[in-house]
Amino acid sequence: MNLARRLSFLSLFLLSGNLIAAELVAPDFSIEKAIDHYIQARLTERQVQPAPAADDCTLVRRTSLDLQGRIPTVTETKQFVDSTDADKRVKLVDAMLASPDFAYHFRNQLDTLLMLGQNGAPGEWREYLLKSARQNRPWNLMFRDMLIGNEDDPEAKGATAFVRVRAKELDELTNDTSSIFFGVNVSCAKCHDHPLVEDWKQDHYFGMASFFQRTYVTKKNGIAEKFSGEVKFKTTKGEDKIAKLMFLTGTTIEEPVIQVSAEEKKKQDEEVKKQTQDDKAGPPPIPPFSPRTKLVEVALQSGNDQFFARAIVNRIWAMYLGRGLVHPLDQMHSGNPASHPELLEWLSRDLIQHQFDLRRLVRGIVLSQTYARSSEWNASSEPPAADIFAVALVRPLSPRQYSMSLRIASSSPEAYKPATEDWQKRRDDLERSCEGFANQFELPGENFQVGVDEALLFSNSPQFTDDYLRDSGDRLVGVIKAQPDRGAQINTAYWSALSRAPSADEVAACEQFMAKRTEPVAGLRQMVWALLTSPELRFNH
Amino acid sequence: MVNTRFCGSPDHGVTRRSFLSVPAIAGVSAFAANMRIMDALKNPCLAGELKRQQKSVILLWLGGGASQFETWDPKPGRPTGGPFRSIATDIPSVQISELMPKMAQRLKTTAIIRSLNTRNADHGGGTSLMETGRAVEAAIDYPDLGALIARELGRADSQVPDYVSMYSETEGRHKGGAGFLGARYAPTFLTESMIPPNIRRQESLADVDHQERADLQKLLAKRFSDKRYNASVASHGMAYERVRGIMASEKLFDINQEPQTARDFYGPTQFQEQCLIARRLVEAGVPFVKVARAWWDSHGQNFETHLELCADLDQGMSALLDDLKQRGLLDSTLVITLAEFGRTPNINASLGRDHFASAWSCTLSGCGVKGGAVYGKTDPDGHKVEEGEMKSGDLFATIFAALGIDYKKEYHVGARPIPIVDFGCKPVTEILA
Repeated sequence: MNLARRLSFLSLFLLSGNLIAAELVAPDFSIEKAIDHYIQARLTERQVQPAPAADDCTLVRRTSLDLQGRIPTVTETKQFVDSTDADKRVKLVDAMLASPDFAYHFRNQLDTLLMLGQNGAPGEWREYLLKSARQNRPWNLMFRDMLIGNEDDPEAKGATAFVRVRAKELDELTNDTSSIFFGVNVSCAKCHDHPLVEDWKQDHYFGMASFFQRTYVTKKNGIAEKFSGEVKFKTTKGEDKIAKLMFLTGTTIEEPVIQVSAEEKKKQDEEVKKQTQDDKAGPPPIPPFSPRTKLVEVALQSGNDQFFARAIVNRIWAMYLGRGLVHPLDQMHSGNPASHPELLEWLSRDLIQHQFDLRRLVRGIVLSQTYARSSEWNASSEPPAADIFAVALVRPLSPRQYSMSLRIASSSPEAYKPATEDWQKRRDDLERSCEGFANQFELPGENFQVGVDEALLFSNSPQFTDDYLRDSGDRLVGVIKAQPDRGAQINTAYWSALSRAPSADEVAACEQFMAKRTEPVAGLRQMVWALLTSPELRFNH
Repeated sequence: MVNTRFCGSPDHGVTRRSFLSVPAIAGVSAFAANMRIMDALKNPCLAGELKRQQKSVILLWLGGGASQFETWDPKPGRPTGGPFRSIATDIPSVQISELMPKMAQRLKTTAIIRSLNTRNADHGGGTSLMETGRAVEAAIDYPDLGALIARELGRADSQVPDYVSMYSETEGRHKGGAGFLGARYAPTFLTESMIPPNIRRQESLADVDHQERADLQKLLAKRFSDKRYNASVASHGMAYERVRGIMASEKLFDINQEPQTARDFYGPTQFQEQCLIARRLVEAGVPFVKVARAWWDSHGQNFETHLELCADLDQGMSALLDDLKQRGLLDSTLVITLAEFGRTPNINASLGRDHFASAWSCTLSGCGVKGGAVYGKTDPDGHKVEEGEMKSGDLFATIFAALGIDYKKEYHVGARPIPIVDFGCKPVTEILA
């Protein structure tokens, strides 16, 4: 990148919001309007005609997967498709955001984001996330809960698992915190100044590590901080250095000097030792200076909070659009500018101005035209670059989304009734009962590929045949085998599995397949198998 | 991955990625991908590439950590040497432990490395280090050797698994995995059963129905996949396309398909039988097979343990090398005998040897290896490496070089270039043919 461009980008990136605000569209635009404004501006500039809006069946399926964590039931799909209400999309989104499903799904997404798909966090961690998702707890407060933690506070209980599961590995705690909350993967800067990114030096890496250096896990499995301790490192020039407490913006914190006698110091060290060894020790002593608390303060202070806001905006954007405005998500630095810098800026400002309300951000994104485009590219030209969002990106379902969607798709269309009063409990049951099957799938990361193990599982495992393809009355196969004619059977199967009516070609293909079957029920199971294993079910499109 | 071109000529603008794995042009359907391969076969330069792809690796993994003193680097008569003697081999200047008499007659196929200094003597850390060739890093999930080989030598349209890992014993059992390379290269992991999971058609479903429902699925999927230019969607189609081929490979795992003479040749133990299965798999084109033999963690009774386990290893390994040679496969198959670390020079109060990663041994046999070579040297008591110190990354670079894989190549994870072997590591050319 040439110097001029680099400087102009740096200014956009690092200066506080005021200067840029003048160039952004008005803050009283709705989020969806701002999104479409900036996305369209780039399309116009590139002279790309975007894909048309997705049809209603696709849109309700996509929105349900994104907001409810599962495909819609046939009733939900048809209700939306058949509605003539001009405002039906806004109503759909608001109803889904208010549903019990949303909190479960958003919890699962946050869990994946924060724990990176690793199991082993205690149950109270997921309880904390669920509660926060239900109450729409602001992201800055969640950050505080997770980093500082107060197990006596009922709102924050469970949150410190974020630090606790990583506390034994300073590198992991440093890197995951930087990457998840600030979009900055500083790991390269541990051994040397970052070779590709001029922004990040060893001082940044060890500066961030310094905030966690004193953190330890007590014998009672709580987290606490020592009274003293600093990070020492060797620079690439071989010089020994003591790291300053330094945030990613370069802001440093001076620790107030407190004179401690040798005797007191010894006492403090002994107390810490006791905490790590004795499960009957009292509450851990609280040092007068807490580096982790300082990190939260400095990260959220005005001017620095853009870092924090941008990172979560970018991650939420990627959850719903399939790719970050800055991509990869942990490479937010001056050498890797956003595809739409002004939009990222606008959304970050909006998030800060609205108290880090994530649900509001999600609502705006899913109501945009950008979100609602078709994922089919029919034009004779090459498909457009992913980073201009001219066509909806196809996204693999998460293991939980897939497992729950398969359950719903393979059940009687009457089996699940989200509009009923006991839905919260049934949704909870669904969540739990689908966990085992979900664990058999890989969490999709970048460049996700379906492995042959998955195809073999669906092709040959007795579990899949005996459960999902059972012909009892509560299952799809059981329902369609009781239907009078082939057309109705195919139609029901399509609506249930793929949330749409079959095309004439598809009806013909299924009829032809069924005509060759000697055992009708077995034939229906095979036909349903072909739909349940379809890529159309495997992906959000 | 960077634009590594075949044979270095700028005339061939086909990357290995577009050739081998999910096409780089997102969303080219499985059919088109196969066509691409067909086209590629007509190119003489690419044909050479294909030949390389028929190379394979068998990793004999000695879980728990075998002793270098009782195998490849004996120190008879020294305080650390233990009770066993060393014996002459078919290479005049080289002696190995008397517990490996059959291998002693086959060193012409094998290079011994006596100078590993890997510094991690913890089972978990050592295993990860020797499986991936690097230290664990918080930010990156590194693939293991099997996944790397599957990625480099596997065929996109392969009808057999790319990476089979047999680990029947529980000690140190660890699946390993494809890390950032993705599930396409994850191992078929065999533990209790030697038949891969879900490879067998259910009896309630006739073969013709199994085939025809897959045909229906493919037909119906086409409408969806054709208009979505997405590599993940393409991989879904390819995974299902491979199902029937993988199912047909079931008999490869069935040792009863082998005549009794072959079974007798390998021997009756589980490890020896798995060596035979490994040969069957490699012969059918599986690029990477791991056979784990555990219980080497001899903190007590080191010598009795090695008396028993070395006999198993010596028989299985030598039969495998002989068989590969007879079948003309040894030139294209690299056999690696490796553990997470070696064992201490000091003999403890329980007559055991503890974990030791500062000076230990492994072997490479067959493909690309200069047989009979010995690389590196430890001091007279085996406490430290005196010559030719190697890290795990150097071993990986040597393995890649032996197979003709460019050890300098890079993958990319996001924007970050990840060299296939750790920074600063290079192959030991002295043991390469």
